[in-house]
Amino acid sequence: MTFTEFKQELFAKAKDKGFTDYEIYFAGNNSFSVRVFDQEISEYKSTVSQGVGFRGTFGGKMGYASSEKMDASIIEMMLENAAANAGIIEDEAVEKLYPGDESYPEVVTFNPALDDVTAEEKIKMAMEMETYAKSLDPRVKMADFCTIGSQESEVAIANSYGLDLNKKLNLASAVLIARVEEDGSNKSAMEIWTGRDFADFDYKAHAQKAVDKALSNLGAKPIPSGAYPIIFDNRTARDLFSVFSGIFMAENGQKGFSLLNKNRVGEVIAAPHITLRDDGVCDLSLGSFSFDAEGVATKQKAIIENGELKTLLYNLKSAEKDGVKSTGNAAKASIGGAITTSTTNYYLVPSETSFDELISGVENGVLITDMAGLHSGVNPVSGDFSVSADGFLIENGKKTKPVEQITIAGNFFDVLKNITAVGGDLKFHSTGHGGVGMPSIVVDGIRVSGL
Amino acid sequence: MLDKQLVYDVLTAALATGGDLAEIFMENTVRDSIVMTNGQIEKANWGVDYGLGLRIISGISAVYAYTNNTSRDSLLKLAKDAAEAVKASLKDDPSIKSVITLDRREWQHFRDEVQIPISKIDKSNIAVKLRIASDAAFQYDPLVTQTSNMFTSVTQDVLIVNSNGVWAEDQRVNTRVFNESVASQGNEKQSGTQGPGAKAGFEFLDNLDMGAIGRSTAKTAVTMLKADLCPSGRMPVIIDNGFGGVIFHEACGHPLEATGVSKGASVFTGKLGEVIATPIVTAVDDGTLPGVWGSLNIDDEGAPTRRNVLIENGVLKSYLIDYLGGLKMGMPSTGSGRRQSYRFAPTSRMTNTYILPGKDKPEDIIANTEYGLYAKQMGGGSVDPSKGDFNFAVLEGYMIRGGKIAEPVRGATLIGKGHEVLMDIDMVGDNFEPAQGVCGSISGAIPADVGQPMLRVKEMTVGGRK
Repeated sequence: MTFTEFKQELFAKAKDKGFTDYEIYFAGNNSFSVRVFDQEISEYKSTVSQGVGFRGTFGGKMGYASSEKMDASIIEMMLENAAANAGIIEDEAVEKLYPGDESYPEVVTFNPALDDVTAEEKIKMAMEMETYAKSLDPRVKMADFCTIGSQESEVAIANSYGLDLNKKLNLASAVLIARVEEDGSNKSAMEIWTGRDFADFDYKAHAQKAVDKALSNLGAKPIPSGAYPIIFDNRTARDLFSVFSGIFMAENGQKGFSLLNKNRVGEVIAAPHITLRDDGVCDLSLGSFSFDAEGVATKQKAIIENGELKTLLYNLKSAEKDGVKSTGNAAKASIGGAITTSTTNYYLVPSETSFDELISGVENGVLITDMAGLHSGVNPVSGDFSVSADGFLIENGKKTKPVEQITIAGNFFDVLKNITAVGGDLKFHSTGHGGVGMPSIVVDGIRVSGL
Repeated sequence: MLDKQLVYDVLTAALATGGDLAEIFMENTVRDSIVMTNGQIEKANWGVDYGLGLRIISGISAVYAYTNNTSRDSLLKLAKDAAEAVKASLKDDPSIKSVITLDRREWQHFRDEVQIPISKIDKSNIAVKLRIASDAAFQYDPLVTQTSNMFTSVTQDVLIVNSNGVWAEDQRVNTRVFNESVASQGNEKQSGTQGPGAKAGFEFLDNLDMGAIGRSTAKTAVTMLKADLCPSGRMPVIIDNGFGGVIFHEACGHPLEATGVSKGASVFTGKLGEVIATPIVTAVDDGTLPGVWGSLNIDDEGAPTRRNVLIENGVLKSYLIDYLGGLKMGMPSTGSGRRQSYRFAPTSRMTNTYILPGKDKPEDIIANTEYGLYAKQMGGGSVDPSKGDFNFAVLEGYMIRGGKIAEPVRGATLIGKGHEVLMDIDMVGDNFEPAQGVCGSISGAIPADVGQPMLRVKEMTVGGRK
């Protein structure tokens, strides 16, 4: 059964059943990846998947159901469960379907040439990357998870108000974990590349980065506990800002799960040189898109501008509650997932300061290059975090000895106010849908525990 | 789920270029979830996951492919393409050597015992149960400002067949309620959580004291709201039972998986038979316990699950091994091949992983500790199996002073190296209790039990904010 046939039958039966309006959300994905280990293919993966999510108004409430099985036999069950789900919803704010915007931003997220790279070429790339990584230094014990992949995905939304949108994107990726050993000290470093053209990928540079990073961590030791000025490099800064992005979602504030809400818009919540943006379409990110999960056109906006909270992020329902317009930040965690809110391309506006200048500006401190435990060691409501970290000591304005087995603890709301410097090295990470980009940042008032 | 002739034809096509083993994992999974926020049902979802994963093993290489389209044409194309990939991965000229022994064993049928299937229940009955927990939390203390109570039930029907003669069907039913209470004062918010689950249907909720769960999460949140920041540094740490078992899961369970051990990327590689823990530590991974959250009748490769003794009186006895990991290690599978869904190739994973009870009374462990941290409730964590480094969060903690539980403290993180901590466990209590979790790794997120009695680690790094 094709998507169009399935949609027609689903819509016809939904109408018969008494749904007053209805929508279908389609997601399809094809992916390929090859992972090599010791010059053997350890995993070759090729996948095809698709699924549909349905939502519709029944008895005045929105009901949901989804299926990866797309044949006529499932339609009745989907509608029955969607109606039953609508029947128990008690939330008084009504979720509505969207008829569409007049225009949507232009986005190019598909490179047809990516298809021309064959499986054999990808296997060769992975093999060469492994060999090269191991040849770089005798201390390299293994090149692990050495993987080259590509994927193509498609999303379509159509509803009974005539909304009919679709988008297609593809991506290429490479992963490598360099594991190194010296005098009983084991270190590893993972390097991930994503792009839209393998011509932009240099496996030698990629392997070099992973190996250099792992080697530089050898011999790391904890440092005495205390308060140090901290530099988060652009990766760890990105991790920190990602994990706390939920505080900017209006729906969290409305339910009491964020300390920020519409009454705090206009308040200064960050240092005066901080501007944090969310743009649906951003040239630096691979994850731009023109419409969100409700079919609302994505927009460019500052969440924080020069330290002042300018807006929260909204979907249609949370926007109606606060009497504002959706900011185009509706999201679905899966095809059948309820509408929630998420960032699109979310980034801190960089300065002109280079990474080396940031380091020399910090006389004595700690550079954080890795964090672990972000999913468990943070309180997304209060902003408290305490995570284990690795990095380097900064002494007399220079990056010196590697550091491990420390925890860094602080509060995200304090971090926003205590950023003393922002670097110019903005780098996005994207897995396709949206992205997060951060430059390196210098932060005061973080507690380090070590020895 | 699939016609026998078609299964045979797909396996035959998959092995046409010389693979050693072909395996089909097909599933039809129905998921129900209901989310109550602040006492109101806010979200209700129902969905079907459906698809087939095909794996071909050749030597120690694996080709994996999946699709949602299980028509004959689609599956034969999937098998043919995968077989072409096998040819590409073979270094030598392939000679056709595979034998399909599909008829060697009879078709096995398993299913979890469920008294009340979720599909037979009016969804409003579930809402009633969630509301009991939410109401109890709000009534516990006026400082409780938000509640979130989530119900999930998953019924997974699987067909697992391989060319070595495995031919089995299973139905797995996992039901869970996840409860969170948030207490607030000014800009300060703290939360308490509890997420009991089982292999069962609606009867699991019927037998739960939802009011007690609501009060308990509220109590943790309110206590932590009033708590001071945890001091940092090295100190003795007492980890209580239940979800405290996450320490062993992270610090020892993951590094014992064949995934890391088979390529020498685990601290426990080559340590079988050696002392890796103090002699008071005995640990098992037991997938056979009836009705328990992480149990399985058969693993996701069709092998019966087992009770694997991992550590006996401090000595390493077994790893956790899947079929492919076993080929690489020259050891048989331990019934530990698991995956989230057809979208993942299986790998070695845990089921119900427990440190067994010891002889110490919990009150003696506390009384014997002059100064330290008592971690009453643990949060989640993670580990790097190659280095053994782990970290995890303490959700509810107290200082111990002069052998007594003193003031509550918040914001603590425990970090260390798993193999070092195992050698530093100096007291093991007799109050064993399990708890339910969702474990994530390269083959996806799966239900897993953790569990232990109260343990004392003589010294650990506590990361706090003071």
